[in-house]
Amino acid sequence: MTSLVSAQGVSKQFGSIHAVDNVSFEIEKGKILGLIGPNGAGKTTLLKALLGLTDCEGRLSVLGLDPFKQRKELMQNICFIADVAVLPRWIRVTQLLDYVEAIHPNFSRRRAEELLTQTKVRANAKVRELSKGMVTQLHLSIIMSIDAKLLVLDEPTLGLDIIFRKEFYANLLNDYFDEERTILITTHQVEEVENLLTDIMFIDEGKILLSSPMEALADTYIEVLTAGDNASKARGLGPIAENEMFGKSIMLFEGVSREHLEGLGEIRTPAIADLFVAKIKGARQ
Amino acid sequence: MIKHQLALVKREIWEHRSIYVTPMALASIVTLGVLAMLMFASGYAAELDLAIFGASNIAGEPERKAALTGFFLGTSWVFLIALAILTVFYCLDSLYAERKDKSILFWRSLPVTDAETVIAKLITALVVIPVAAIIGIIATHLVNLIVTSIWVSMKGGDAGLLIWGSVPLLDNWFAAFIVVLASGIWMSPFIGWFLFVSSYTKRSPLLMAFMPLILIALLEKIILRTHIFAEYVLGRGDGMPLFRAMDVEKFFDEQQWRVTENATSLLVHLDVVKFLTSPAMWAGIIVCGLLSTAAIYVRRYHGES
Repeated sequence: MTSLVSAQGVSKQFGSIHAVDNVSFEIEKGKILGLIGPNGAGKTTLLKALLGLTDCEGRLSVLGLDPFKQRKELMQNICFIADVAVLPRWIRVTQLLDYVEAIHPNFSRRRAEELLTQTKVRANAKVRELSKGMVTQLHLSIIMSIDAKLLVLDEPTLGLDIIFRKEFYANLLNDYFDEERTILITTHQVEEVENLLTDIMFIDEGKILLSSPMEALADTYIEVLTAGDNASKARGLGPIAENEMFGKSIMLFEGVSREHLEGLGEIRTPAIADLFVAKIKGARQ
Repeated sequence: MIKHQLALVKREIWEHRSIYVTPMALASIVTLGVLAMLMFASGYAAELDLAIFGASNIAGEPERKAALTGFFLGTSWVFLIALAILTVFYCLDSLYAERKDKSILFWRSLPVTDAETVIAKLITALVVIPVAAIIGIIATHLVNLIVTSIWVSMKGGDAGLLIWGSVPLLDNWFAAFIVVLASGIWMSPFIGWFLFVSSYTKRSPLLMAFMPLILIALLEKIILRTHIFAEYVLGRGDGMPLFRAMDVEKFFDEQQWRVTENATSLLVHLDVVKFLTSPAMWAGIIVCGLLSTAAIYVRRYHGES
């Protein structure tokens, strides 16, 4: 596998605050990685470092380039959506297409216009005249018309209704993603993206708490719904989190084999949101 | 690089419509003023006939040239003042607005460097806005010449002789072009300063741009009892070394109200060599370069903050 992104001991400090604290990870080609973390976890700072929008300590390589020093070259092969509000409100759709066409060597105007015909976005409309959902469609149409190797999405569906959110991810998967492309998504809405992801990374207080392929999660993390004596036995195996619901205990185990847990209750694979909460709480204790 | 710059400059014109709307508005206002004046003058039929007769037969060609050149000089100054105000507001808004509406995140997601972006804004301030002003000046002159020609013809005058034959058009326009471009270059340290302020200020760019300048001048006056900063920095606009020493009163001959042929040529009053060899002009360009570099640095390292 080829690493598109390689981070070794990357840190970024703002005064006494460690926004990103000595993190190391690799992102391989053809993956959809979810970077999940609470507010102030360091997600956006890490993304900015990857995009060359901020400098950082440590060794960081994206597509073989130093993102901060070679941002212009890097941006020819990276697309980035920060959130729906960043398209300039004064610009017309045609002007936006003209501009990106002149600036971006890998942009296909014809493709963007084709994609826009499938929406209600009018060519002569100004961005300020469009609804939030339409602005996202416009931005996504532009992004999907750029032949880029890495797409970075920072809270891309923030403030959108459920229909636009579903459409956004459906378009991304059906019309954009292929094995040659890599997508990095940060979001609070874990449930919305967990079925898309091939890999996941949890981050809190600047540190990576978990980094794993999605398919490996089921082997490593197991949830047991149990009660009575079985609950006591299960507790003895050291769950990383425990919740009570309808008189039963839901315990989350890390690295405990399925054979040990069978017979103690109903075994299931934990939801990403539950795993996220457990890991964050565990790290903060 | 050139393709990028063209796209970036075009973007500036799209975003800041005042770059072309202001000259168009001024041209319209001046034309309306001239039309109003002509309508007012039409009320004095007898005096007018006499004036046109006099202008055609008695007054010499230099006087007609001087009168029209004076009118054109006045309208050009209106554009020059508007150009200065427009440039101040454009520069202060150029790097501030993109942070305020967070569109900087979109602009920076494209393969354009911070240096290219700031240079495009500098080009817009130093070249595009002055060129828009020149086009405005030429359009205003042409429209008013045509309007006045029609009016003079309707009154029985010879527009070819009185208007078109009296105006050294190319001479005036070339002089206006030099003055407008040179003014931008001469005031470029302020352009650099405004871009720099625009790159870092979080609020009230106008206040943040002028307050330090006024404070420095005041503190110097109070503490040192000198006014070097006020004289050389704030008063820079008065000292552009482009004009030859010109006595306005002698622009027209005092004795006989006759002027020499050269008096109507604005070009004669400009000394481009003196301007280009002025150390103060080059020092200004260096200061502008340093401040623009600082603006690039701020956008690069503190872009979204």
